[in-house]
Amino acid sequence: MFGWQGVAAAVVLFGIGTLGVVLRRDLVVKLLALAVVNSSAILCLVSLRVRPAAGPPLLGAGATPVMADPLPQALVLSAIVINFAVLALALVFVMRLVEQYHTTDSHRIDRRTRDEDAE
Amino acid sequence: MKTTRIVVPAAACALVGAFCAIAWHGLDGAGPNAADVSPWIESAEALGARNVVSSIILGVRILDTLVEILVFTVAVLGVRYFLELPHGRAAAEEIPESRLVGVSAAILLPLIVVIGTYVTIYGHLSPGGGFSGGAITATGLLLVAAAVGAERVGARFHEGAFERVEWGALAALLVLALLPVPFGKAPFTDLLPAGAAGRLLSGGTILPYNLLIGTKVLLGTWVIIHHFLRHRGEI
Amino acid sequence: MNGVAVLLALLPPIAVLALFQHRRILAVLGMSVFSLLLAAVFLFAGAPDVAITEAAIGAALSTFVYVLAIRRSGRLVVAACDVPGLVHEERGTVAGLEVDLLERVARSAGLELVVQLMPPDEVLAAVRRGDADVGAGGLLAGDEAAGLCTAPVHLRTAQFAVRRRGARDDAGAPHPFRGEMSDLIGSARRGEPLAVELDLARLLALVRSSAANLDVTRKPGEFGYAFVVAERQRDLLRRLTAEVNLLLRDGSVEGWAGRHLG
Repeated sequence: MFGWQGVAAAVVLFGIGTLGVVLRRDLVVKLLALAVVNSSAILCLVSLRVRPAAGPPLLGAGATPVMADPLPQALVLSAIVINFAVLALALVFVMRLVEQYHTTDSHRIDRRTRDEDAE
Repeated sequence: MKTTRIVVPAAACALVGAFCAIAWHGLDGAGPNAADVSPWIESAEALGARNVVSSIILGVRILDTLVEILVFTVAVLGVRYFLELPHGRAAAEEIPESRLVGVSAAILLPLIVVIGTYVTIYGHLSPGGGFSGGAITATGLLLVAAAVGAERVGARFHEGAFERVEWGALAALLVLALLPVPFGKAPFTDLLPAGAAGRLLSGGTILPYNLLIGTKVLLGTWVIIHHFLRHRGEI
Repeated sequence: MNGVAVLLALLPPIAVLALFQHRRILAVLGMSVFSLLLAAVFLFAGAPDVAITEAAIGAALSTFVYVLAIRRSGRLVVAACDVPGLVHEERGTVAGLEVDLLERVARSAGLELVVQLMPPDEVLAAVRRGDADVGAGGLLAGDEAAGLCTAPVHLRTAQFAVRRRGARDDAGAPHPFRGEMSDLIGSARRGEPLAVELDLARLLALVRSSAANLDVTRKPGEFGYAFVVAERQRDLLRRLTAEVNLLLRDGSVEGWAGRHLG
């Protein structure tokens, strides 16, 4: 059945995203990994309430006898747009960082801030 | 350094474990007899809307949606503030795009704008709504800005007017939410009558909400795109 | 339902492929494909609103915002003149002290280094036109031209006046050399009279290749090699400055100088 497959994929994606945030040095790729984490949470929410042979949550002409649960879709719909705006803001912060330290390498920025603190 | 080597992977594993636990707990309720969808169907029918998801986010849970719009506004404000303040309004160098982008923008723009407006307006009848429709229309605007240059689009649409419309849409949203109060109803409920289901003018206040949210998302996304186009290639 | 399982099974590999790329632009494009696939999954799960929104935002807007922020071409194009030791061709690729330095700069910026060799007078023109981002190849700091800025000196050098009396006549007073090294070496081998001013790297190349009857006097003054960047590329200049200073501080430049120049 779809439900648990979707949840399994979501958990795996969450792990991949977290690994990406931790392992990759480049700040931009860290943000992309956070986007993967976002997507995994959305996928989990939607697929928890998936029913086999369920149609879209519409009444009237487009309806099917079994309707997909509209609640997680409602939760998730505006979250996608807001996540995009917040991720754009995070990208702006990365741009500020790059302007100051001239690199997107998080290790190098870390080292340089530690040097600055030591001074 | 050693503590970071231990703490960070441990925290990551803990996060993944927590996610698994939540998913597992949620899976208990999954299955064919899982969700009882009828309350939502009833509320949608009461509102006269056909799209159940729209009736939830713009009917029953309108308060959540309004606060999320607020979060969106703050994020866009942040983008504008942090990109404009240090640099001022200096125009970036215009990087000419290839002819292909211009030609395809000319062909695709009307199509995209029509589809986006349709999705916004018919949000209560078919899948879509303010969020989706605003995003789609913003894609069209973005295509033109990429082809022609953000400065030209900004000059043509008059930045000042855009800002006023943006804040006006937010104010109108709040007013619409609080408008039922002088009419004797509770706030954040709908004011307009639910027309015959399936007609364009139905669904209570869902249609005005969709239009306002669509405008808000379109303009907010345009602000983000504009500022990113001005400061392109900085990373 | 099987189709959805296939799509779901495709999601993690695409995410892994996208996130663990070396070039940022490929990571962004991989994420765009991921979002599109996710939108398809939502469609088959009976969530058309979510599918439309995810497709519009994830595949189109988010990708575009990242692409705008990331440097446009993904390449650091360097126009350089051929100077053995600093920038020269070796076994099919370009190598040398300045190449190593620029390779480090490019890698720290997530860009791919592309070196184009050309005659010296074309190097400055290419940078000014915008065909190349950086000019290299034993350019001396102080040789500034309009519209160009120099990065800090990455290797100090000296100017030498080189003369060789020819069999019949003199070449005149030494003048600054602005041609190709291969031409100079060729004419030196043929025994033609020389009167040029060369910097250290070029001098070493000349001496190593022909080295007969050369009169070398050192000119007074401090000189240094530096890269040249177009004036409007302020961000690249800042990045180059920071990287050069870093590499000078940790001594990498000296190590490379020992290896390439001997």
